[in-house]
Amino acid sequence: MSLDYVKFSNGFEKFMPKEYRDMVEHGPFGKKVTVSQMGNFKEVLEEHPMCAGCAMTLFIRLAIIAFPNPEDTITVGTAGCGRLAISQAAIPFVYGNYGDQNGVASGLSRGLRLRFGDKPKDVVVMAGDGGTADIGFQQVLHSWFRKERFTTIMLDNEVYGNTGGQESGMTNRGAVLKMAPLGKKFEKMDMVQMAKVAGCAYVATVVPNNPRRVESVIKKAVLIAREVGSTYIQAYTSCNIEYAIPTDKVMEDAKTVENDRYQFTEYVSEEAKQYLTERYGYKEFLAKPAAPAAAIPGKA
Amino acid sequence: MYLVADISVEICAAKSCKLCTQYCPEANTIQYSDELGKDQGFKYGSAYVAVDRCKGCAQCVWVCDNMAKNNAIKMIMIDQLPKAALTENITYGEKSTTAVLASPVVG
Repeated sequence: MSLDYVKFSNGFEKFMPKEYRDMVEHGPFGKKVTVSQMGNFKEVLEEHPMCAGCAMTLFIRLAIIAFPNPEDTITVGTAGCGRLAISQAAIPFVYGNYGDQNGVASGLSRGLRLRFGDKPKDVVVMAGDGGTADIGFQQVLHSWFRKERFTTIMLDNEVYGNTGGQESGMTNRGAVLKMAPLGKKFEKMDMVQMAKVAGCAYVATVVPNNPRRVESVIKKAVLIAREVGSTYIQAYTSCNIEYAIPTDKVMEDAKTVENDRYQFTEYVSEEAKQYLTERYGYKEFLAKPAAPAAAIPGKA
Repeated sequence: MYLVADISVEICAAKSCKLCTQYCPEANTIQYSDELGKDQGFKYGSAYVAVDRCKGCAQCVWVCDNMAKNNAIKMIMIDQLPKAALTENITYGEKSTTAVLASPVVG
């Protein structure tokens, strides 16, 4: 977990595939890259078997670019579509048993702190809505109540997309799916509110139709998780297969859903605001200067 | 045969918004070249598609038509492209990439 592991072993450079050589020589390791530079550098994410036009893939691509230190980051995932892409990135990926990803990440995060001390090693959990809100619910909530210092990202496609379209806790009420033909009878779980109640220092909802916002949200969440506490991002990443969205309309759907029920929201605890401001120079949380008093007619 | 995205250099290099590079779900598929476009006398460089990685979802077409309002991207059958960029012919530089265009269909 350092820049050392993205170097060639002596004598092996000429035998490595082009993609690997490009990644070592022109990847984001040890540099600062942004989404505005996309298309100009070799990305950490490689080819993967996720469906054409998948919004989850786009979100994962953006998220990995946004990691502040990809060479010092470990991702943790569980069963679900997302792991098909996350595991195809040149950063270590731990594949937990279904639902235990936040338990695994808790141990990993603590172990890395013991081993590396103050040197930041980021742990980012990326799991689907089923892995986070249903099967992993207990471990997710407990990790938040324990204020474990890592980031949890829910890739919310509102369905069990990988297994044929069963309803999940995050499916909207009334949604009819292939394996839920009568329609869901219960409301979508409010995981954002639960994250706040459980004491997360940073909670955000985001849709991938705004790449710069995704980048900003991920960066803040990972930085806050280094020292302040748990952070949670809930991203709408539609399943174009189970919800029958034509692939060229995926971003149109994202825009519609963002305007309807997935508006951008961001909660930052006071401690996290202070930390980002003092440690990383964020200016957005500084108190706004008071507006000058309106001139009173007739007075100098 | 199958459809892949094709970017018109003439239209792209006039505006060069780079939105498609940020919205493609596939990594390193829509690339950007400072030379492509400028070498033809246009103001900016242009985006281009590594067709061996394109899954043909056409998300870039929607983004180019509706967000950027450029209409620079069309879906084309891969055997109708006389020349295209392939991953093995793309070279990364300090700030941009260059691609040697070649026939995407073997045989």
